Amino acid sequence: MSKQPIKHYSIEKKQARWGFFFTVPCLIFFAVFSFYPIISAFVTSLSDKQIMNRTSEFIGLENYKYLFTKSNGGFSLLNSMRATITFTLGTFIPMVVVSLIIAVFLMQLRKTRYRGFFQIGFYLPAVLSSVVAAAIWMIMFDPRGIVNQTTNALLNTAGKDYGWLVNSTMLQFSTMVVYFWKYIGYFVILFITGLATIPPTLYEAATVDGSGKWSNFWRITLPLLKPTVLLVSVMAMLQCLKTFSTQYMFVQGGTSRPPIDVITMNIYFTGIKHGKLGRASAMSIILFVIMLVLTVVQFKISDSDDVDY
Amino acid sequence: MKKLTIMVLTALLLVPSFVFAQGSSEKDGNVTINFWTHEDTNRQAIEDGYIAEFEAANPDVTVKATRQASKKMIELIQTAFAAGEGPTIFNLESNNANPFVQAGRVAPVKYEALGYKDAEDMKSHYIDGMLDPVTYDGDIYGIPFEGLSWCLYINKNVFKDAGLDPEKDYPKTWEEMVEVSEKLVIRSGDIIERRGFDFRYPYYLETLVPMVNQLGGSLFSADGSEAIIGEEAWVKVLTYMQNWGPNGLNLGSPTYKNARKLFNNNNNDIAMAMSGLYQEARIKSDNPDFYNSGEWMVVPFPVWEDAVADTSASFYGQFYMVNADESEKTQQKAWELIGSMLSHEQEYLSEVNLIPPTKELMNSETFKSMPYAEVFEGDMERAHHLYFGKNATEVQSLLSTAVNNVMLQNMDPEQAYQELKASVQELVDED
Repeated sequence: MSKQPIKHYSIEKKQARWGFFFTVPCLIFFAVFSFYPIISAFVTSLSDKQIMNRTSEFIGLENYKYLFTKSNGGFSLLNSMRATITFTLGTFIPMVVVSLIIAVFLMQLRKTRYRGFFQIGFYLPAVLSSVVAAAIWMIMFDPRGIVNQTTNALLNTAGKDYGWLVNSTMLQFSTMVVYFWKYIGYFVILFITGLATIPPTLYEAATVDGSGKWSNFWRITLPLLKPTVLLVSVMAMLQCLKTFSTQYMFVQGGTSRPPIDVITMNIYFTGIKHGKLGRASAMSIILFVIMLVLTVVQFKISDSDDVDY
Repeated sequence: MKKLTIMVLTALLLVPSFVFAQGSSEKDGNVTINFWTHEDTNRQAIEDGYIAEFEAANPDVTVKATRQASKKMIELIQTAFAAGEGPTIFNLESNNANPFVQAGRVAPVKYEALGYKDAEDMKSHYIDGMLDPVTYDGDIYGIPFEGLSWCLYINKNVFKDAGLDPEKDYPKTWEEMVEVSEKLVIRSGDIIERRGFDFRYPYYLETLVPMVNQLGGSLFSADGSEAIIGEEAWVKVLTYMQNWGPNGLNLGSPTYKNARKLFNNNNNDIAMAMSGLYQEARIKSDNPDFYNSGEWMVVPFPVWEDAVADTSASFYGQFYMVNADESEKTQQKAWELIGSMLSHEQEYLSEVNLIPPTKELMNSETFKSMPYAEVFEGDMERAHHLYFGKNATEVQSLLSTAVNNVMLQNMDPEQAYQELKASVQELVDED
């Protein structure tokens, strides 16, 4: 009888094997909820699949061609791209800048309990469901609501209807306000976490060398916070590109659709309400590519001037 | 390690097929009927009782009833069907029911389960044209528990408060609607505190299209090849809507709270709202004092002064249908349940004020004795059936965009008409 050879694994291999097993749940989650839908959407985008039909035919890139050349029954992809870009630029840039400013101010607070109080206060809206948040803001944006009344009180224009949900520009602005209010706290927390990792000794040394607070911020805080700024800006941008609930709730509440017809909402209406799943899937893939490209661009831009300490 | 990696990755690829696998509604000879319907407290009260009776008489059947907002029904049902998880029984209105019939996703009626000999026999029991949206190739695929068109509900208190006599001054024409609403509206600056009337946004197939029809326009040409016919009629209606909105006379807007929902409260914030007979039961249930006060009334759908056709709000049906993917046994039980519920058509009418649109019921004493039954009957007689063609949902969305463009974005009605025509025509050409 021959003896079975005993396999010997190196420590690294053993660790790699355990590491692999530990990542399996995450891979399963990714496979079920991300990988499969992406592949499925891409395959569907190459067909004329309709929600009510049992069968569909392969039509190649026809859906993509249609989306860039036709009006999609009055709700064109190009208008949705405009609405999405307007919303993203109008929301994510102020959100990153303001959340950074708030985080820096909160870090200046000497008493940690005050800091905690404000952190919770800013974060609270993020816990609310987007649908509930949009519903609350719709009431507030009503001509008799608190937003219009406060604006009238501040500007001394009693009885004026600023058309928060009516006028095209105001409507777009209103959706930005809701999103900004809801997510600002989340990004403040991320920035605070980033700020906490900067060694206080650097500030002490700089202060000894005669540097002021303003100079400290530009020369120490901001360069060392770069990874967090990148993380926050990528996350904020991706979230803004995927915005849906606010716009959907507003349209359900009677507002005009075209000014705020972001890509995700157009996908929903085209696929679910109008039943054109192939076309809606093509829109999803286009949105996916836009998000991928913008993320890569953002990473590339921030690759230079890395600072170590 | 490589082998293991490949095995794990292969397993991962197969995971979704298990996760998204379909379930069955028939296990061990027992039948589970998933019953999806829209919310209506009054209807739920009687239907829950009928379901309990049916389950008691059929111990092998379990009915799982789920109720959702009527606005969400079509989206939920379409999505469920797309995922292969459609409910056993569901209800949809004419325009949303028809595509399910066309696509073969619903089962034909089992006539004997409903007490009919065949399709012709069933048709003969219903008012003319009522079953058209669910008729295909000689078979019928749905049964209506409600058939209606909307009329105008009037709050007499608000009229009197504005110094008007509701019996004489109620609007008979769309032109009078503006005049009366201007007298009824109360504003604080630009902000409306009380509306005279407001449209039932965004149900434009039901209300806006008949306004166009009255002026000689239509959605499609007779052969269906051309969309949005009658430029003059469409532009006139869109101009009217523009004048109605915040950029015109400021009498109302789609962004204000649904007038029909406010009406029952009798809070001096809305004078007129458009709704069906069922609204009477809802007033009674929400505000019995107001219902019993007699300070409300119902009048016909207005017409234009220069109307060329006398037509009222489009009539439509709410149809119960059965999923064709279910087994033969489940389908049979599902139709039996529907038949059992609708055998109580008198209660649907008397308890919920829904009109199962059978000829017998429409001629019954129960119907004739309902408050303002003659108004609803009169309007039903002059109404057209709601458009229920293949692209009805998209057309509804496009009509909504056209109205919002003129009312909220202040777009020139001529331009809004051109854009509407081009968009609907694109849908027609695509077919």
